[in-house]
Amino acid sequence: MRRLGLSVLGAVIGLLFFIPLLWVVTNSFRPGSETFAHLSPLTWESFFELRPTLINYRDLFGGEIGRATLNSILVSAATVVVGLAVCASAAFGLAAFQYRGRGLAFGIVVLSFLVPFDAIAIPLSAMFRDWNLTNTFTGLVLPGIGNGMAIFLLRQFFLGIPAELVEAGRLDGLGWFGVFRWIYLPLSRPALIGAGLMLFLFQWQSYVWPLLIGTDADHIVGPVALANLQGQNFTDYGLVFAGAVVLTIIPLAVIAGFQKYFVQSVSSSGLK
Amino acid sequence: MKKQRQGLIALAFLAPALISLAVLRIGPAIYALIESFYAESLLRGGRVFTGLSNYTDLLANKDFRQAVAVTLLFTVLINPIQVVASFLLAVLFTQRAPGTRLWRTLVILPIATPPAVSAVIWSVIYRPDGIANGLLARLGLPEQPFLTSSSQVLPALIVLLSWIGVGYWMLFLIAGIQDIPGEIREAALLDGAGAWRRMISVTLPLVRRPLAFVLVADTVSNLLVFAPVQILTKGGPNGVSNLLMYDVYTRAYALGDIHVAQAEVVLLVALTIAIVAAQFRLLRGDHA
Repeated sequence: MRRLGLSVLGAVIGLLFFIPLLWVVTNSFRPGSETFAHLSPLTWESFFELRPTLINYRDLFGGEIGRATLNSILVSAATVVVGLAVCASAAFGLAAFQYRGRGLAFGIVVLSFLVPFDAIAIPLSAMFRDWNLTNTFTGLVLPGIGNGMAIFLLRQFFLGIPAELVEAGRLDGLGWFGVFRWIYLPLSRPALIGAGLMLFLFQWQSYVWPLLIGTDADHIVGPVALANLQGQNFTDYGLVFAGAVVLTIIPLAVIAGFQKYFVQSVSSSGLK
Repeated sequence: MKKQRQGLIALAFLAPALISLAVLRIGPAIYALIESFYAESLLRGGRVFTGLSNYTDLLANKDFRQAVAVTLLFTVLINPIQVVASFLLAVLFTQRAPGTRLWRTLVILPIATPPAVSAVIWSVIYRPDGIANGLLARLGLPEQPFLTSSSQVLPALIVLLSWIGVGYWMLFLIAGIQDIPGEIREAALLDGAGAWRRMISVTLPLVRRPLAFVLVADTVSNLLVFAPVQILTKGGPNGVSNLLMYDVYTRAYALGDIHVAQAEVVLLVALTIAIVAAQFRLLRGDHA
């Protein structure tokens, strides 16, 4: 009886969270002119479309939002690749060696946690303007590559790699880069995937920074383009909803595909 | 000798990250600090050193004072709501009951939605002819203004931010609850502790660490809320939703007061670091 009660409560809460997304998905398959047709009051038709149309998605991929989504994918992918190289190498420097100042170096990384990126986005955008990085992919990618959380996660993992393995590798004639490349990286797949997810989500979700630094048609990212579209006087809401679906489904697919690592990275960053 | 050599090699591996952290995180904070002591000079062209006058201007500014008050109110409201809701949901979704995994997934789904996209979605939900009023009509309740009402705008923002936030923070707490050894749970059950008692006296103290992390991280992220304000309310009506981050943005770009905006950035960064430090101290005190 108690279990049934809990289940019903869970279902009600789950559905409340789900309603907005369901409504967005439904309306993305409906012409924009009908977005507000079935709302007052709500009926089952508010959430189901019997004659779905793909017209919004066709308009989307042919238009500005489609291009912006591609830009988001490009920027996020570049961030993950470059960011993993930078963060994994840093974590190796913090985990594999014994030296004075190791604590200090780790402290600097922790400090980078404490300066929240969005808070310093405005002065950084002024600096990037001086360096001619406005409206460039480099300018969009750079702030995402040094990620304190990702370094933290990788370092935790690297600390667990036994020193004997490193010694054996050194005896076999590996240089330090060899140890990093052929011992640490292959053993750290789960942590690398977790860190890659952090880098990806940071970049995919960012809004303040791309709004400040990259708003021309060739560099605008998905969320900024969608917000612009919504702000216009005669908005095609069908198109807005299709854009919202695409911009949500891409990270959702990535998270779902790496679900195990996502949960691991979440729990280890929160508990350690 | 060997230690020194190891240090140099370590530094080489650390260099790209340290440079990017220094240039992209710490550098701008220092840049803002320096710029905040200068002002544009119309007479001479270029900038002149003005000491603390940007700060005194800012503190005397009515809009800034209102933004601080609004941000404080917002902080005091949203963080307890989100942390308590995440904890209760984490407890609910770690019970053994049919369908729990599915309902939990539905709560987690919105975290994939980027904040700006969720702001766009909720801007349509909150329209006078949108789905929120449709739901109220179904329940026989009168139509509400939501974003255009000065008493409803902050609650409306809190709902939309919680829609993405609560599921995310819940994940950390679920991980914490699942780390609680099964014997402790069983011992509490044998002692005859009821569900509520188990949650307060057993679960709550044992997830203190993830809970403290969630409180810190959530507070910092809510201090920097920007997209929903910029997309939905523009700080209105009458500045009652003008959160600090949006105030900095309008001061820098709409008002063109870049040096005063930099002073505001400095205060914002200092405030954020102070919150994090204070909360971590609380956490440590808790352990002793």
